[in-house]
Amino acid sequence: MARRSKPLKAPDKLVFLLSFVPYLLERRVVDVAEAAQHFGMTEEEIRDAVRLIATSGLPGSTGTYQPNDLFDIDWDSFEDDDVIVIVHHVAIDDAPRLSAREAAALMAGLQYLSASPESAGSASLASLRAKLAAGASSAPSRLGVAETEADASLALIREAVAEGRQLEFDYLNARGERGRRRADPLRIISQDADWYLQAYCHTREDVRNFRVDRMSDLVLTDEPIGDHSHRIVPDTLFQGSESDLDVVVDVSPAALPLLSDYLADSSSREVDGRLRVTLRLAHVHGLKRLVAGLPGLVTVVAPPEARAAVADWASAGLAGYPEHGTAESDARSPHPGDGTA
Amino acid sequence: MIAPVSGASRKGEPRIPVEDRLFSLVLALLATETGLLKSEILSSVRGYAERYDDSGQNANLERQFERDKDDIRELGIPLETVESPDRPGDNQALRYRIPKGLYDLPDEVRFTPDELALLGLAAEVWREASLSADSQRALTKLRSLGIEPREPVIGYAPRLRVRDAAFEPLRQALDRRQSVRFHYFKPGEGAPRERTVDPLAVVLHEGRWHLHAFDRDAGAPRTFLLSRIIGAVEPVPGMTFDAPPADIQDRVLAELDELRSRNAADLAVTAGSDAEVRLGRRAVLRDEDAGVIRLHYTDVAVFADELAAYGPEVRVIAPDSLREAVRERLATVVAAHRGGGAA
Repeated sequence: MARRSKPLKAPDKLVFLLSFVPYLLERRVVDVAEAAQHFGMTEEEIRDAVRLIATSGLPGSTGTYQPNDLFDIDWDSFEDDDVIVIVHHVAIDDAPRLSAREAAALMAGLQYLSASPESAGSASLASLRAKLAAGASSAPSRLGVAETEADASLALIREAVAEGRQLEFDYLNARGERGRRRADPLRIISQDADWYLQAYCHTREDVRNFRVDRMSDLVLTDEPIGDHSHRIVPDTLFQGSESDLDVVVDVSPAALPLLSDYLADSSSREVDGRLRVTLRLAHVHGLKRLVAGLPGLVTVVAPPEARAAVADWASAGLAGYPEHGTAESDARSPHPGDGTA
Repeated sequence: MIAPVSGASRKGEPRIPVEDRLFSLVLALLATETGLLKSEILSSVRGYAERYDDSGQNANLERQFERDKDDIRELGIPLETVESPDRPGDNQALRYRIPKGLYDLPDEVRFTPDELALLGLAAEVWREASLSADSQRALTKLRSLGIEPREPVIGYAPRLRVRDAAFEPLRQALDRRQSVRFHYFKPGEGAPRERTVDPLAVVLHEGRWHLHAFDRDAGAPRTFLLSRIIGAVEPVPGMTFDAPPADIQDRVLAELDELRSRNAADLAVTAGSDAEVRLGRRAVLRDEDAGVIRLHYTDVAVFADELAAYGPEVRVIAPDSLREAVRERLATVVAAHRGGGAA
């Protein structure tokens, strides 16, 4: 169970209390440790909640919280054996419904998973989504995520990760170099539409992120992967290193979130209505693609060689479009004559 | 969390934790059939009663109750207000309750260990704070069913980010059926223009978040790209609208898919390049000899941005609109980067 990093806020604590009671009733007799595991809480948080529930109840007709209007637990089991047993309950016995927003968040998350080999087909996803909608107290928020086709390689990579077997593949890196790689797959990670394999690369002798769409000719070998428990698999896709390139750019404020992965630090200053920030990238090849893909939104200020690299990249692209004459003499449409070219 | 170990009433103790007060309020409102008057709640429910003033100076406590009601409703708990048949319109005669039938998760909504594992993964998808919090709360609620999910999936972390500032205010407006105003920069228009819209659905298509909304000025539905919303999304006070159909987001996605299938681009890609490898994955037709692939796309401007990033690795053959858009973008980048720079 994933451990929380931040303390819960009061509404989250309320949701927990309202969920914990029906869990205890359903299970009848449960260890503190087991409950803590099930809800991803600490044992002390569970004990605090039990004490709170055991003294909670209804104001009753007199408005004074008489014993019969309160929850009660088997105090001996709780204090001597760390075991929770509710012996009297009031008002609630069932799981609470989901809110419209909660249901929508899970439903849209499921739609995104449709692209992954983990989902057992879109039919079961559809029925799961319908169940979530039925479990919401009002119509789920209208939030949708387009179902995308899974990359064919993904299923094989997933198998390699699950079975702990080495992979061999051709890889084209961002510098444009192609080569055969052998790697110990560790984790598949996606960011929006892009899928990556985090793996220990035998060639580079280090953990690397591989873009799945740059991998080809994959072979799942019978070789087991090595022990990488001592290695840190980065939780983000963009890792700084000593060979990195720091580049000063001006960016229009609205486009700043698009550069968040590359910001070297959090400092920025305003220059003519734009923000001047420093980006950190592995090399100039990544930079030229990034800047050319945000035309008019990002301008490289320094160093000069980075400016030149971007200018050269874009003007080489521009050279493909002569000013005059759009006639196509050197390339054909895939199906000549179908009227689109 | 302060809690005595005896079962005695805590009336008279000075400080009751917020979750304790909210929990007591939910219990009290679930247990009543006819509903409780505000005065009954404030004078008897734990967390309020300790601070209740019999002489009637309870303005702070009443405001507290209003906020608590909002918080409880935000969690999807159906807290109802019932007017007195004898005294309609009299706020002091309003009764509050939570109907148990609307509170309890319906019996047919039960999940298998496999399904719960999948839902756990779906919750982990969100990197954005409010969606992540909503997902985690939903999982907590489902844990009350007492079913252990299948072993969590390891070595697998699908993630979705929301980087558009307009997303969260729009999602709130969607839930509250609240009309909003924002400035929208449409390609081809010289400057951003203010729009007043009823937000109907927010969808992710081709990696971009779209808002489908009824444009009040145009008198017709429109689809907007969130990335082209400039500045703040402001709610328009007092302007609300009816709930759209439950499956409107699916229809919007289907329309975008159809739009996509109508737009085809022929691209010449350099052999062995990043463009060939990555764009080639999405090709619907290819002519290996000529190095030409055909791709579908939804939005000229969005696709042109993507293609410009490939520089000389890709050249648009058709259509002209896309060709011109890419050429223009590359020219913009060249113009901004020629010369010494303004450092």
